[in-house]
Amino acid sequence: MAIRKKRKGLQNNRNDLIFYCIIMAWPVLQFAVFYIGVNFNSILIAFQDIDIVTNSYSWTAKHFVNGFEKMLSPTQLTMAKNSILAYLITICTSIPLGLLFSYYIYKAMPGAGIFRVILFMPSIVSSIIMVSMFRFFTTDAFPAMMRDFFDITMKAPLDDKSTRFGTVMFYNIWVGFGTAVLMYSNKMSTIDPAISEAASIEGAKGFSEFWYITLPLVFPTLSIFLITGMAGLFTNQINLFSFYGVSAPESVQTFGYWLFREAKRATKDGLAGYSELSAIGLLLTFIAVPLTLGMRMLIEKLGPSED
Amino acid sequence: MKMKSGTIGQVPTINQKKSRGSKSRFTLLTVLMLVVLIVYSLSLFALFFYGFITAFKCGKVGTLEYRLEYYPGNLYGLPKTWYWNFGFVFKNFVVEGTDPMGVGAPVKVGMVQMFGNSILYSLGCSFCNTFVMCLTAYGCARFPYKFSKIIHTTVIIVMIVPIVGNAPAELEMAIRFGLYNQIWGMWIMRANFLGMYFLVFYDIFKSLPTAYTEAAKIDGAGNWAILFRVIFPLIANTFLTVLLITFITSWNDYQIPFLYLPSYPTVAYGLFTVVNSKIKGMETTPMRLAAAIIMLIPILIVFLCTQKRLLGNLTVGGVKG
Repeated sequence: MAIRKKRKGLQNNRNDLIFYCIIMAWPVLQFAVFYIGVNFNSILIAFQDIDIVTNSYSWTAKHFVNGFEKMLSPTQLTMAKNSILAYLITICTSIPLGLLFSYYIYKAMPGAGIFRVILFMPSIVSSIIMVSMFRFFTTDAFPAMMRDFFDITMKAPLDDKSTRFGTVMFYNIWVGFGTAVLMYSNKMSTIDPAISEAASIEGAKGFSEFWYITLPLVFPTLSIFLITGMAGLFTNQINLFSFYGVSAPESVQTFGYWLFREAKRATKDGLAGYSELSAIGLLLTFIAVPLTLGMRMLIEKLGPSED
Repeated sequence: MKMKSGTIGQVPTINQKKSRGSKSRFTLLTVLMLVVLIVYSLSLFALFFYGFITAFKCGKVGTLEYRLEYYPGNLYGLPKTWYWNFGFVFKNFVVEGTDPMGVGAPVKVGMVQMFGNSILYSLGCSFCNTFVMCLTAYGCARFPYKFSKIIHTTVIIVMIVPIVGNAPAELEMAIRFGLYNQIWGMWIMRANFLGMYFLVFYDIFKSLPTAYTEAAKIDGAGNWAILFRVIFPLIANTFLTVLLITFITSWNDYQIPFLYLPSYPTVAYGLFTVVNSKIKGMETTPMRLAAAIIMLIPILIVFLCTQKRLLGNLTVGGVKG
């Protein structure tokens, strides 16, 4: 009896293992090709000097040297400045505003239900639609309104060099606000009401409840925003492609925008252009990885504990 | 005994929600926040309203009506005469796609085909992505092999380790494997398990009681029967929500089709082309916004029909590995 049971158990284990191998085969293969393979290929391409005429290549490190020199050019330094500014502006505005207003929704204050639906709107509408409406409004309607109502003659904010980056960032914060509020309020809604009630009995109400109870409990979500924001430092396009297509002014470009645009250009021009782009991508990865991991460590060290 | 199908997080009841509200609901701060939220909501509506009314203004450049009804005569007011631009846009919203074989002249792609491409691209990508993520999460959560732990850790590492500028390598790989410029190629490329929703599925599978699968096993059900007849019905709700979200994301995305599908433009890609180039007859703001409204309608209908599901608690947990 015991032997039969043992044999059945072994048979079950073997069946489980076969089933496990079958369901994991595709995901692992896909990951091996499209993550490990692609990134390994990216490293190889960065070291290749491709001759599109003979379709041959030789190994070289010149793309890193060229890429590094390029990264120190005024144009790319502006991109670095814009990329960092975009991250800082986003975390300094979206996070506090998002947390504050999500607390309003979480506390089921007047109109919370309807605001939840409205705030969700920007996340489901394509960025190209939202940007198009915003762009045409700021380009056509806004200067006309300023002229007619306030007698102020002005250039369209997206065309004026001094206001275009601010306008693009305003749009990003304006649209991202809704998503941030929803994410935080959804996380807050998982807080056991007994905790807030207990805090209330202890005298923690309003701001103190928010600061000592709610904030530590939503900190995991907050940390995701901080870490993924840092991870996306050099890939964030701040919707520039939707605003300007392939011809964004240099003064507003970020690395994320530039890399995407150049990848498309390289596809048109042939594979030779990929090498330098991959080299610059790798150089930027070397900067972004320690920054992101550092941010994660900092958050784990300084952030409050859910307990 | 019936068990509720899986949801993402816990949906609080109305009583729980009410119990959160403090007695002194109207402090100065809450009034201020209410005002800000009203202003924010109005600003969103104002933008959509602007887009809507402008789409009904005369968009035929060079005509007197255009000068009077749009530029420079009426840039922000209500239309004096309402023009039906949508018929014209539907007919003339044509994007030049490259020949799929890459040798012939560019092919003209109209709106009907763009909608078809969008449906194929979005449905395929969202289903492949959600299904693979769900299946992998199931394997990792229910089978405690060491490899499962490696996969779980890999997802977290990939989420926090930024890889910059690998698009050229991915493009090169897609070209090499014959996936470039093929909608099915995109399905294969999106059929991965990486991303936040893997963790959502993983948590749900981990929290499901094993009693159901044990009972099914005693009744003689194999692993496949357990997966499709016991587990999937339990998590169907979450699966559909994630599917819906990834569908909307794919529908709205124009950059991946722009980069990988030059012969199969989707509506989003088409709109990007329309607003950034001068397609004859479509170069005015009213025409471009009419095209934007046409693209907006399907997603708005999807949203209105599924807003309860979409707004169901979607929470993001921590990244501690």
